Amino acid sequence: MPREAEPSLNEKQFVAQALQENLRLDGREFDQYRPLELSFGDQYGVADVTLGRTRVLAKATAEVTVPYADRPLDGVFTIATELSPMASPSFEVNRPTETEVLLSRLLEKTVRRSGALDTESLCLVAGQKCWSVRVDVHVLAHDGNLIDASCAAVVAALRHFRKPDTSMDAGVLTVYTPAEREPVPLSWLHSPFCVTWSFFGEEGDIAVLDATWLEEQVRVGSCTVSLNKHGEICQIAKLGGTPVDAVALLQCTNVALARVKEFSDMLDAKLAEDAKRRDKGGFMAELRAENDR
Amino acid sequence: MTTSTGPLVLPGEALDPSLIPSHPKHPLRLGPGLRHIPPSDIVPTVAGQLTTNSHKNSLWVEANSNRYIPQQNDPILATLLRTAPDSYLLTLSPHTAPASLPHLAFEGATKKTRPILSPGQLVYARVALANKHMDPELECVNPATGKADGLGPITGPGCAFDISLGFARRLLMARSREEGGVGVLEMLAGEEPGITGGGLSFETAVGRNGRVWVGSESAATVIVVGRALQETDRNGLGMEGQRRFVKKLLREMK
Repeated sequence: MPREAEPSLNEKQFVAQALQENLRLDGREFDQYRPLELSFGDQYGVADVTLGRTRVLAKATAEVTVPYADRPLDGVFTIATELSPMASPSFEVNRPTETEVLLSRLLEKTVRRSGALDTESLCLVAGQKCWSVRVDVHVLAHDGNLIDASCAAVVAALRHFRKPDTSMDAGVLTVYTPAEREPVPLSWLHSPFCVTWSFFGEEGDIAVLDATWLEEQVRVGSCTVSLNKHGEICQIAKLGGTPVDAVALLQCTNVALARVKEFSDMLDAKLAEDAKRRDKGGFMAELRAENDR
Repeated sequence: MTTSTGPLVLPGEALDPSLIPSHPKHPLRLGPGLRHIPPSDIVPTVAGQLTTNSHKNSLWVEANSNRYIPQQNDPILATLLRTAPDSYLLTLSPHTAPASLPHLAFEGATKKTRPILSPGQLVYARVALANKHMDPELECVNPATGKADGLGPITGPGCAFDISLGFARRLLMARSREEGGVGVLEMLAGEEPGITGGGLSFETAVGRNGRVWVGSESAATVIVVGRALQETDRNGLGMEGQRRFVKKLLREMK
């Protein structure tokens, strides 16, 4: 398996020394994100998130399947993450690295286990038919902070997604095409976002938001907090690394809440903008034969 | 100026014969991106701008690529991987075969006085041997004079930054300002009138493998110079854009 290329000694020393002097290599503040850009595709459920030079694309799809035998009233909801060699040559297909496992686990905990999507609303016929919603996460470019970018992409894709409308008539299930009936959005309960802190220094006393790939290779520890804009924390993951002071962690969650509020507002604004772009003025306007001149 | 730029060419395209320079004495020299197919065809192998030099009777294709292929005499910035019995193994770019740097290819090095380097160390070296089917060989000494000529292990405070190969080439030009269109280093060093707050002191080592090392006692200076270089490269800034960005950086620095 190809190993990830390590930064040179000179770079490692410089990054650590500059952080001691309150400087980051790209001139950002410690609690400043790189510009987060979000765009939607022509189809429903495609979200493209760019965070500096990191780029993640998420695509949501839905199909009708049989529910799990032990959960006859619930739909199926899966998040598939696969890091391809396109993101970095050290990622191999069908051989998950530690990064990939951690990423899918964190997304699972943040989005699925926090009940962001109401899976009961995906049930069509109890025990027989349900919707299976699947989100595929594709990492197109990797320059650090994959977790935050992927989580934002997954949430944006699911909020943007529309599943086909259905009806039950005398035991017959009908799935309508978009031309017959307008597709319906998912039953969405809250929007969690991940905020990752990276810790530097001997004691882990320097906390930095949105680390680049070089910074991620040098850090002594990291902590991912997932929360929604109401301040409800879905999960905190601090997987190994240098121990961090509890009070400092509390301070980190406060800053994270401010960032999550910004993300939520941005996502709402982008969704409204996209809805406006798609709205052609109702059914009659769409049926009009007249051309734009 | 003897160098003139021609049209954009695509791989396999037929070249207009009027673009090929002719000289009474020198033979025609083909540079990177061109291939001679006997008897008399010259075909581009990469997409880029055809450039000719009438003095040297040479022509080549200016292209910006991401993959570094070692060429003899290129200065490069390499990272030490490990030590072999009689040489160091260095990597020029991630996920490629390592290059070897003999222990004795340093200035004044003998078996007893050779520099001891640790893994991860940056070394500024020259490609001594680059064959298609062999791992490249490096040297840190001019074999003719036995002097280092500025090559050697890089010590002192500073950081390496990634840039594109085309930009590294432009930086290395003898007149990088006029021919390469890169003036950020002069602007930051305060050699350009009209920019206040310049006069930063720093040193650079540019490697053709797309890495540039910036060294200075002050970490803020290193970061400002590195950002200016990367921004110029990634956003393709012209002279005016560079001037504006440097002014902004210097304002932020205060």
